[in-house]
Amino acid sequence: MKRLQLQRWSSSVLSPRARAGSRLHQQLYSTGLRLQSTASPLQSETSIPDDVEHVDIGDPGMMRHVRRVHKRKTQLQYPSPPVDAAIKSPKLAALHARLYLPSRLPVQTLARTLVDASADRNADFNNEALATLGHDLLTHYTSEHLLCNYPRLPLSVIFAAMYAYVGPKTLAAMTKEWGVDWATVPGGEVDPGLLQFKRIDPGTKVDEVSQLQSPRPYAAQKGWRMTVSSKIFYDDEFGDAIKGSAASNEGVTTEMASATFVRAVMGAIYLHAGRPAAKRFFEQHILSRHLNISELFNFSQPARDLARLCARENFEPPVAKIVSETGRKSRHPVFVVGVFSGQDKLGEGAGASLAEARERAALAALKGWYLYSPLNPRVPSSMEEEGAAPWKPAHVDVGEVIV
Amino acid sequence: MPVKGIRTVASARNGVGAFILQCKRLDFHYCNFWASSRGMLNFLTKDLPAFAREHPQIEIRVSPRPAKHPVIKGHYINGHEKAICVRNLEPEDIMKKTMILKEASGDKLKRTKKPVTSVNESVRGIWSPYHGDLRGV
Amino acid sequence: MFSRSILRSFTSELRFTARSSISAAPLPQRACLHQTSWLRTTQQQSQSQSQSPNPESPLGATPRAQDTQPEIQQGSKAPSTPTSTSNTIIPQTRADVPIEKQPVAPNFDTPLEITKSLMSSLPHLAGQTPHYVVAELHARPYLLTAGDHIRLPFLMPKVKPGDILRFNRASAVGSRDFTLKGSPYVDERLFECRVRVTGTESEPLRIKEKTKRRQRHTKTAKSKHRYTIMRVMDVRVKTPEELLQEGAVVVEDTENTTKVEARS
Repeated sequence: MKRLQLQRWSSSVLSPRARAGSRLHQQLYSTGLRLQSTASPLQSETSIPDDVEHVDIGDPGMMRHVRRVHKRKTQLQYPSPPVDAAIKSPKLAALHARLYLPSRLPVQTLARTLVDASADRNADFNNEALATLGHDLLTHYTSEHLLCNYPRLPLSVIFAAMYAYVGPKTLAAMTKEWGVDWATVPGGEVDPGLLQFKRIDPGTKVDEVSQLQSPRPYAAQKGWRMTVSSKIFYDDEFGDAIKGSAASNEGVTTEMASATFVRAVMGAIYLHAGRPAAKRFFEQHILSRHLNISELFNFSQPARDLARLCARENFEPPVAKIVSETGRKSRHPVFVVGVFSGQDKLGEGAGASLAEARERAALAALKGWYLYSPLNPRVPSSMEEEGAAPWKPAHVDVGEVIV
Repeated sequence: MPVKGIRTVASARNGVGAFILQCKRLDFHYCNFWASSRGMLNFLTKDLPAFAREHPQIEIRVSPRPAKHPVIKGHYINGHEKAICVRNLEPEDIMKKTMILKEASGDKLKRTKKPVTSVNESVRGIWSPYHGDLRGV
Repeated sequence: MFSRSILRSFTSELRFTARSSISAAPLPQRACLHQTSWLRTTQQQSQSQSQSPNPESPLGATPRAQDTQPEIQQGSKAPSTPTSTSNTIIPQTRADVPIEKQPVAPNFDTPLEITKSLMSSLPHLAGQTPHYVVAELHARPYLLTAGDHIRLPFLMPKVKPGDILRFNRASAVGSRDFTLKGSPYVDERLFECRVRVTGTESEPLRIKEKTKRRQRHTKTAKSKHRYTIMRVMDVRVKTPEELLQEGAVVVEDTENTTKVEARS
């Protein structure tokens, strides 16, 4: 396989200053232009501070004042902080070191990941593109981890587990755990180490889905049943309806902006440092979190599901038997009921009534089936490592029971 | 729909994968004229650069606070703040106080009796009186 | 003269030089593993024991202290190591401790001996997750599973937040149905238990009033102890294949060997 030219790829997201670029670039940008070539050259304004540098005013206090005024003027010119401010921000440097980000990822890109699209509409300076990439990577790694480790999980539980690992709530919590604060109002003079986004107006309904954007046919029909499998095709990774892009001057919630930031960091690591670093970042920050998948199930009729499952798998039909009991005539009886299929005990549960105990036993049996996990599972992306052992096909299950 | 998923948030376990130092910012306040700041001024000029170089993950702010005793304030990721007054202390002692602030988790001080706290389920399960043999009475 | 702007500029400058120098230069390895495992890794360089070794160049999303195998920094941190006798090697982190006070490093001149019965029952134990370990530290048992939070009842000296320790003394390692009991300790080559130091914590100030009879004076004794807090990174039992690869030898069963006990 040909070696990837990471430097070349990542240079498009980098500011020219951080590029290992030519001297011409450095000369061009030493005048303080805005970085990307798509931005229109603003020679007239930007040349002023340059002149100020050279003018020798005798009074140093006056000189400082004049400089500050000009600096402020240039800062206010743009909706997000200028690139050279990133090098001078201690917050940003501390964040870079705190996350143990690779040294190949420059602080300028980290500063860019902190600018939400609602703060700066210009796609060259906000984190939207990085976040799109990061989101795809995060969901890809999470889904392959879930599918290879728990091949029998029902789809709705997979959606819930995906949400628990890389959902916006989790990512927003991660932003807090990384110690990232947000600016109240975005602007060019804000410290680039703060998360910048335009806040949504109070009273706006956040959860309202604009039905027109949904790719689902007949989306306007309220009463129509939406199957779980249709969510794979029409909805997003968490089983939610896809929301349309926000209107131009609408803000975002703190949660959404934080989630976009974490995704953008993931995308930036992938671009600057490559796939192994991105995968390690994912494992250390996402997979290391604690999630008990057995708590994500919500069965409505476990006994019925278990009967269907046994019929599908050609087991003998499940029979509930009392294993032991105490105090049947008392105020607090306890029944321990096991669900048996022939000679095999599928599950066991204790309850205060026979029905409750049977229900719990069926639930335990179903969880035991769905939470099957193969020994030493490997994920497909582990094949991308150098010197990986030959791939053995992962176990693929037929799926959940359909009632 | 036979089974539904319950949405939760995976809880963080700092240190299992990545480790993030809980102290995110240290503020050093000093006074230029009071004698109680003498050790602090020495510390700021002599030891602080090396400390900052060793701990790039901590943001360091130095600011004067005239006519007050010198103070170090630690800001933590959980939003708490700890302050230690370092009046009349020598630079070595101030370094010790700085290390205390750096290593602290930022949580409220609690008295705990058990050394291990776990969110995992018991590995061997919980003992049940309804299983196993009946002992003769 | 201590002007604010000068100091500001000074510290800000310093922060940047600090960051770049740290991230660019190969950092002195701070992972302070137990001496034993350190020795073993030096002896058996070729074997990778646990996770995939980190690829060198594409960087450090890895925290520095996170490598499972510590690199040996010969003389980079402490150039004056105490005079080492014959072939004892002293880890840099313990260089300040006098040699006679250092913990005795186990010298694995004999390979790990596994009895046949253990060999046959070990896969059952290794295959059943999760695992627990009863790790002993200063003769106190700690029942640990992966992800647990420990607050040691003392302040561990010479550790920094972020360091990784390996607990190598365990009286029992087990899963739900199987337990490997040591007599008195399980051989440390059979399992892995790593913990990461996450900082120190202190208890609230305790004030005890000391009084004596017929004296109006009351003495108040104050105490505020500090404790080391840690996080268990993983608890793992090695599979027989791994052990054989690391040079274990299968021997015949004898009396009082360690056995895997199934749950009754």
